[in-house]
Amino acid sequence: MANIAAKRIKREFKEVMKSEEVAGGAIKLELVNDSWTELKGQIAGPPDTPYEGGTFLLEIKVPETYPFNPPKIRFMTKIWHPNVSSVTGAICLDILKDQWAAALTLRTVLLSIQALLSAAEPNDPQDAVVAKQYRESPQLFNLTAKHWTNVYAGGPSSIFDFNQKVQLLIDMGIDEHQARVALSTYDWELERATEQLFS
Amino acid sequence: MAETSESQASASASAPGGDAGGEDDKRDERMLECNICLDTARDAVVSMCGHLFCWPCLHQWLETRPSRKVCPVCKAAISRDKVIPLYGRGNTKQEDPRNKVPPRPAGQRTEPENNSGFPGFGFGEGFHMSFGIGAFPFGVFTSTFNFGDSRPSAAPHGTAQYEEEQFLSKIFLWVAILFVLWLIFA
Repeated sequence: MANIAAKRIKREFKEVMKSEEVAGGAIKLELVNDSWTELKGQIAGPPDTPYEGGTFLLEIKVPETYPFNPPKIRFMTKIWHPNVSSVTGAICLDILKDQWAAALTLRTVLLSIQALLSAAEPNDPQDAVVAKQYRESPQLFNLTAKHWTNVYAGGPSSIFDFNQKVQLLIDMGIDEHQARVALSTYDWELERATEQLFS
Repeated sequence: MAETSESQASASASAPGGDAGGEDDKRDERMLECNICLDTARDAVVSMCGHLFCWPCLHQWLETRPSRKVCPVCKAAISRDKVIPLYGRGNTKQEDPRNKVPPRPAGQRTEPENNSGFPGFGFGEGFHMSFGIGAFPFGVFTSTFNFGDSRPSAAPHGTAQYEEEQFLSKIFLWVAILFVLWLIFA
């Protein structure tokens, strides 16, 4: 790895550890290997959002050309958000692409991702299905996002109705996550979800 | 590698506790850190928007995105000519850091080589003429054999190559005329 990238990540790592966000529990950062090319980030779901109370893990890969090119970041924790793929965890955020600037750091990027959770951008979606629900039935979107946060990110609000529907499909022999995706996609209408799963 | 950094981290963590002056020194040092490598800026330059960089760092940033030259901190427009080098007192040779990192040499491209050698003069579509100097007997052959078909056909009308050929043949024509006049009057 190029010297400047490793050197900078080390500095950033130290700085993140000292930052007040880490002290406050909003973000966390840990090393995955000794080469400083791969890290694991963690952000807390922002208050007053369906993600509140959840902790979301992020995979961070630092390219050799860092900081001249952005780090590659994706959600490892499954999340229901218009700008994050519910399948791969890929994030649609301009600063991770063409709006990257060399003065941005892992700390500011993690905070930006956290901010993205409180301010979705449905007009520039990563997951079209989620974005459609976000625009057309915001109530349902909120509940779905809460449900996912509860199941995958340890969020506090368990939604009885949704859990029951998922359980129904599991009893039919369908994989739990697959069942949840189908139900979320079809606005929790059991019939349409079942139809799609068995077609 | 992780071990070294840990020991460094613990060393730096214990340092500020040791003496109270260390904290202030550190803040001063951080003021002079390059915004790209986060190290103390060497060959420092400052942008019009007031942000400090090492020139090598900023140069690489500008090279990485030649189409979108913005300040890495505030995204204001930035360019090589719009940064100011900073010369501290300790710096003995006050050389402009911008001259140290050499600008990348421009790409070079040459036209593909024409196999049939000297293209001669084109008048219209098929007629070609060449001339020789002096009484060298092969000159006759040159002009004779040039009526053969071994040369490439003239470029089609309107293309850049056609324009170029026309231009060249005009130049050679004038050179020939001047040469003949010089022969006559000299």
